[in-house]
Amino acid sequence: MAKTSIINKIYNAGPVILLYYLCISEVDTNLEKTFEIFTLNFQIILIYFWVLKRPEIMANGHIFLAGLINDVVMGFPLGISSLSYLIIIFVGTYVRNKSVNTTIASDWFTFFMAMIFSNLLFFSLLNNFSDLSFPISKIGYNMFFTVFMFPIFWLLFNLYQATFVGGRDA
Amino acid sequence: MSVSRDDFSIAFRSALLQRGGAQKFSVLSLIFLALIIFFLDVYGAKFTKPIRGFINDVVYRVTFLASTPSRFFPQVSNDISSFLNVREENKKLKAEIEKYKSLELNVEFLTDENKNLQKILETEYFNKNLSNIILAKVLVDKNSPFLKSIIINKGTQIGILKGMPVTKDNYLVGRVVETNYLSSRVLLLNDLNSRIPVTLDEGAQAILSGSGSNNPILEYLPEDYKVIEDISVFASGKDGIFSPGTPIGKTNENGEVDLFVDPNQLSFVTVNLNVQSKGDL
Repeated sequence: MAKTSIINKIYNAGPVILLYYLCISEVDTNLEKTFEIFTLNFQIILIYFWVLKRPEIMANGHIFLAGLINDVVMGFPLGISSLSYLIIIFVGTYVRNKSVNTTIASDWFTFFMAMIFSNLLFFSLLNNFSDLSFPISKIGYNMFFTVFMFPIFWLLFNLYQATFVGGRDA
Repeated sequence: MSVSRDDFSIAFRSALLQRGGAQKFSVLSLIFLALIIFFLDVYGAKFTKPIRGFINDVVYRVTFLASTPSRFFPQVSNDISSFLNVREENKKLKAEIEKYKSLELNVEFLTDENKNLQKILETEYFNKNLSNIILAKVLVDKNSPFLKSIIINKGTQIGILKGMPVTKDNYLVGRVVETNYLSSRVLLLNDLNSRIPVTLDEGAQAILSGSGSNNPILEYLPEDYKVIEDISVFASGKDGIFSPGTPIGKTNENGEVDLFVDPNQLSFVTVNLNVQSKGDL
């Protein structure tokens, strides 16, 4: 019984561990080396899905901390990724509060909205308060591929949830 | 209508203020905290700089450890493939040694000639003082779509300062833009924020600007200057930061610059402690 409980805890911690690992390690989801324009913000997909489906396993504090770590590793001003992730949480929680039953299409659309708000804040803060400049085309590619890949990860995370975590939808 | 507005405000407030269960902090409180941290970091309050430096050092070390598995497996596969090709490589290397032996005499002659000419011109060889060049290991090389930078394992402890040029095999790769006690961040030449004064083969001056892709571009070339393929690009040293004549790359058919050092394949680099920028970078 105790063993099952520990295994369940590990499964439940999977998404948070993955989030921390993606933020702190060199592993990234930018396949620019093989396909020049393919860049993906995987952290945002991960956060949005789990905030929408099982917010209790993706605590706000962990997401905030992961954002700070991401800023340090990437060289952004501290707190900017956290703010961007918190906007994602906010939209995700709002959608969860407002909806009874969700489909892949509704999640996809609301994810697009969440990413627009989040990226708008992220890039406008960087543009106005730091010396860093970014190619607009890269931002566009990044947003496009992140939205484009969302359904694939939605299905994968749903599979993970059904197999290891247990379903309890909004 | 009013019911719908109530629903909206309840869902909105709940999303901002909801706590309980696993959620120990509300989104609103964390947004405020993140904003405070952000503005403290941006406006550089005196006490935030050492704290940020300490956090950077710790996180970079942890990142290096956390990335060990991702480095280990490609390394093993490379080792196996190079082991299988060792015979062919041996043949190639023997042929190359013969070629370089014949070139060595030529180089010796040219070196002497160069020294004599420098004596005539009364100039000093710019890289004479090599004692202040240190080797640094690349700790983190995270491929970001927006920023092209690396973290090295040397910092202010051994004298690294902002603006110092970073090279690999005497080819320029970038400059130091952030220093901590035990680590530093190096902005690579292909980053969008990188600007370097350069000289081309024929003596034309230009600015090498990072484009965010692997190949930087040449800007502010002389009027009517047409970039053709295979022109060598060197640092001009006009900014007083980079040693004049440090090789950077060659132009390609698109007018971009193919760097001599692949910015995605850096494992060790050297930092020239003799040179430092005079102004803000």
